[in-house]
Amino acid sequence: MIARLLAKFRKERVLGVAKEKRRYDLPLANSSSNSFLRLLICLLSILGMLALSASFALSAMTERWSQGLANKVSVEIPASDSAGDIIAPRMVRSMTDDAAKILSEHPDVEQAAITEEKEVRTLLAPWLGEDLAMDSIPVPGLISVTFREGSTPNLKKLEAKIREAAPSARIDTHESWLADVLRFTGALQFAAILLGLIIGATTLVAVAAGVKSKLSENKEELELLHLMGASDSYIARQLQRHTLILSFQGGALGVLAGGLLLFVISLIAGEMGVNLIPDFRMADAQKLMLVLMPVPIAVLAMLTARVTVMNVLTRMP
Amino acid sequence: MIRFEHVGLRYGIGPEVLEDINFTLDPGSFHFLSGPSGAGKTSLMSLLYLGRMPTRGLVRMFGQNIGELTRDQLAAIRQRIGVVFQDFRLLGHMSAFDNVALPLRIQGRPEKEIRNNVGELLDWVGLGDHKHVLPNTMSGGQQQRVAIARAVITRPRLLLADEPTGNLDDDIGFRLMALFDQLNRMGTTVLIATHNTAIMEKFGHKRLILERGHLRIEDPQQPNKGGHGDLRERLQGVY
Repeated sequence: MIARLLAKFRKERVLGVAKEKRRYDLPLANSSSNSFLRLLICLLSILGMLALSASFALSAMTERWSQGLANKVSVEIPASDSAGDIIAPRMVRSMTDDAAKILSEHPDVEQAAITEEKEVRTLLAPWLGEDLAMDSIPVPGLISVTFREGSTPNLKKLEAKIREAAPSARIDTHESWLADVLRFTGALQFAAILLGLIIGATTLVAVAAGVKSKLSENKEELELLHLMGASDSYIARQLQRHTLILSFQGGALGVLAGGLLLFVISLIAGEMGVNLIPDFRMADAQKLMLVLMPVPIAVLAMLTARVTVMNVLTRMP
Repeated sequence: MIRFEHVGLRYGIGPEVLEDINFTLDPGSFHFLSGPSGAGKTSLMSLLYLGRMPTRGLVRMFGQNIGELTRDQLAAIRQRIGVVFQDFRLLGHMSAFDNVALPLRIQGRPEKEIRNNVGELLDWVGLGDHKHVLPNTMSGGQQQRVAIARAVITRPRLLLADEPTGNLDDDIGFRLMALFDQLNRMGTTVLIATHNTAIMEKFGHKRLILERGHLRIEDPQQPNKGGHGDLRERLQGVY
């Protein structure tokens, strides 16, 4: 064992002896730009992971909000009549009870729950201020209505029926609010996709520049291979393989670092009480997509290397 | 086998460095290419090893018009040509073995065949114990032998050598020429670019002489002299 180690040590001290198995015809393994490309792909992978995770989270948020508000409406019994006169709280409560009864008897309605006055006042407090004498302000009656699964109630008819008990009642389907939120999250998702495309484009440009730099660095060796009869594909394969390995290494490092970063972000978000998307957990397929991210990045880099090499080689006779 | 008809070459928009070149290299022939510096020898060599394409004229190699070939077909033609460059152009990151094996690997030959052939050839050129040595730690003579081994490992149909004796003393130069002559006798067409008149006179092969981009052909062979028997006489004292 010791003798073998000593023999290895002695062998490696002999100057000018090839120590490792030849991997490439071009001197690619010792190029100084390798670390740069690996690091760049690593950073781009982290960005890609963040963009993809953001896209997943936004998608989950949108779905949760849409599902949460599907089959639900709110019925409001205003605290003032159409002329603007205040209605007595007792009257408002009575009209609310009557409207709730009508709703409960409707075949499409699964549940009609009155929001208690105290709860309404709590909801209004942030807008009206804590210091205001809340008890002196008349509050509207609110009923949360849940329709049966698969039902398609005629809201106009239903509203007309409720107005028999509460003439100024109106149904709020949350549509305008939800549309704004969905538009906003849609824009964020678009931004995430755009970021992904920019990351992809940056990868293309960086790899192409790296490959061109390598070809220029090894111009004489490249020309020699060409003159020995190496086909364009033969030469391209060497750079493809080299780029694939480097990109995959960079991508794998990026996934590890990105995973750690996402974990830290989730901890911080948890501590800050961010519960816009409570119980958000990535699906296994989404986790797999994140873990496998180095694969498409490496393949993209490899194809870019091939196209770049072939393009450069066509300038040779 | 190799035929140039009215071939011209210019770089960019400059004047023609080769003008109306016409010659034929028959299979198994041996020629010297000579001429003063700047006459266009390197340019003509680059046309022969397909490092450049002519700007005019017809070049036929191994029965094919190179102007009509695809890139892959041109690569296949290049695989039939062995070149010994003046500056050797060995790959510094590879061992002597891998440098010599490179043309075979490009041709996709099996590793077993490569190991056998390259080992045998390195033994033949006297570098059997230098297989794993990197070129930049070898002497000029050793590097040259590696370059020659690399050029002949595929048994090329055409062997081109650019000033192969340029940096060598006469004795080694003659020995090298004897090696080329041996390859020629095995059927390889050989063209050597050289300034060395002593070698040209000693070996007496046909000469392609370039002067200011124009080519003329000289045949110093006497009618009653020729063939390898006479060559052996001329090489007495060299072996």
